[in-house]
Amino acid sequence: MSAALVLDQVTKRFGGLTAVNGVSLRVESGERRVMIGPNGAGKTSLFHCISGVLQSTSGRIECLGHDITHMPENQRTWLGMGRTFQISSVFADLTVLENIALARLGIQASKWSMWRSALNSSELRELAADHLEQVGLPGRESWQVKSMSYGERRQLELVLALVNQPRLLLLDEPCAGLSPAERQRLASIIRELPRSITMLMIEHDMDVALALADRVSVLHHGQLIVEGDASTVQRDPKVREVYFGQL
Amino acid sequence: MTGLVRWSVALLALLALPWLAGDYWVSLVTQMFIFGLLALATDLLLGHAGLFSLCHAAFFSVAAYASAILQVRYGFGSLSGMACGVMLGTLLGSVFGLAVRTRGVYFILVTLAMGYVIWGVGYRWSALTGGDSGITNVPPLQVAGVTVESGRSLYYVIMAVMLVILVLYSRWIQSPFGLALRGIKSGEPRMQSLGFSPPRHLYLAFVLSSLLASLAGVLYVCFNKFVNPVSASLHVNVESVLMAIVGGSGTMLGPFLGAGLILGLRNWVSTFFELHLAVMGLVFIAVVIWAPGGVIGMWRRLDTSRRERP
Repeated sequence: MSAALVLDQVTKRFGGLTAVNGVSLRVESGERRVMIGPNGAGKTSLFHCISGVLQSTSGRIECLGHDITHMPENQRTWLGMGRTFQISSVFADLTVLENIALARLGIQASKWSMWRSALNSSELRELAADHLEQVGLPGRESWQVKSMSYGERRQLELVLALVNQPRLLLLDEPCAGLSPAERQRLASIIRELPRSITMLMIEHDMDVALALADRVSVLHHGQLIVEGDASTVQRDPKVREVYFGQL
Repeated sequence: MTGLVRWSVALLALLALPWLAGDYWVSLVTQMFIFGLLALATDLLLGHAGLFSLCHAAFFSVAAYASAILQVRYGFGSLSGMACGVMLGTLLGSVFGLAVRTRGVYFILVTLAMGYVIWGVGYRWSALTGGDSGITNVPPLQVAGVTVESGRSLYYVIMAVMLVILVLYSRWIQSPFGLALRGIKSGEPRMQSLGFSPPRHLYLAFVLSSLLASLAGVLYVCFNKFVNPVSASLHVNVESVLMAIVGGSGTMLGPFLGAGLILGLRNWVSTFFELHLAVMGLVFIAVVIWAPGGVIGMWRRLDTSRRERP
């Protein structure tokens, strides 16, 4: 099986603080990997290094066969990487359709066009309708995002990441801040995504995490301490110590 | 009234104005077109991309000076002088556009400093710019051998230019490029993760807006027949922003409405009150506090509440 993502000794330092410390990781194509760890473990910093929001201090990152260690964030998206953020980052001042149009345009040369209309495309409208239906927001194209609930914004955020059919999807706590019902709904949407999408996800909700994961990686103090399937990780004494203290 | 009917009525009113109103009003509305265009240029950045620029008077005045100097001293024709003026102003915009590498208060300060450089050059390099007196006696506009001398003819020429720009501008803001600018204003980090390069989009927007400001500058020379360093001053920069905000930032007609209101108010207040600039300041404060969406925002709010009333 080929790897969709390979991290080799990736380190990220902020002055004297080492947020990510020599993490090596291999995520196979089609795999669903969940990353867990207590607050401050370095999960989001590692995500930012993978997606290009932050440049790693040292180490090497390979995505879909390309060395992306020093590649700008937007070019990683062109390669086939999609991501969601821990804090909802949809465009609140725009409509749902405008949000989806922006996500679609990001990887197209037509984003520079100054003549044709951005929204008058039947292809865009069909795509938007399909994706909104998929995440349980049918018919919301003309809604102003600022009038939507937090849960609906999280669902829209997922649409923005999916609309370009990414090959590697990074989900940073997609269920954070949602009610139990909304969490279950979003988890089932994620579960039903096709296996052509490799997924790396940070999730604090252990039920959601373990239900979705093929494999789980545990980070603590910036280091990868355990890796394996859900039951192996659950039984591991190091993980129990990190989560419950000395047993 | 539908949109088409409203536009047609507005257009007919503008066409009829020189035949119905006196010279003062024709001159005021001509200035409204010119300064509305400058405010529209400023608002392309402010209203759509969220960048508050304080150097657009630089492009306005460089284009105005270039056009005037070429016509008065080097015998250029009106159109060639104006074309060179627009090119020079836009060229300056392509250099000053590097300011988009900064954000927030730093962008404001950098553009303010750039504006001061041009104002200083205009004021001190008197061999080129005529110093305080500026460049005078610019010949009247000539188009295809016809001299546009009367205020009424010039009104129609400038109105035609404004209408062409409005059509182009409406395409720009509805295009993927315009949507990208609004996306950058709403959430720049997210745009990066979607595959955009916000600095490149902002740079192009800056150059485009400098082109519009330059166009306003050469039209100003056509109308005024002279240019002096006041055209590059901070006062003009601030007033162009004020016009956009008072009319309705982020809208197409707002900057023109704002220009009309500010110019009209200034002319009226200055007839009986020496401190008319202080009045402008008070207007700005009042608009920001009570009508942040400007005249158009206020009108939309009233319209919405009227529709919602049972």
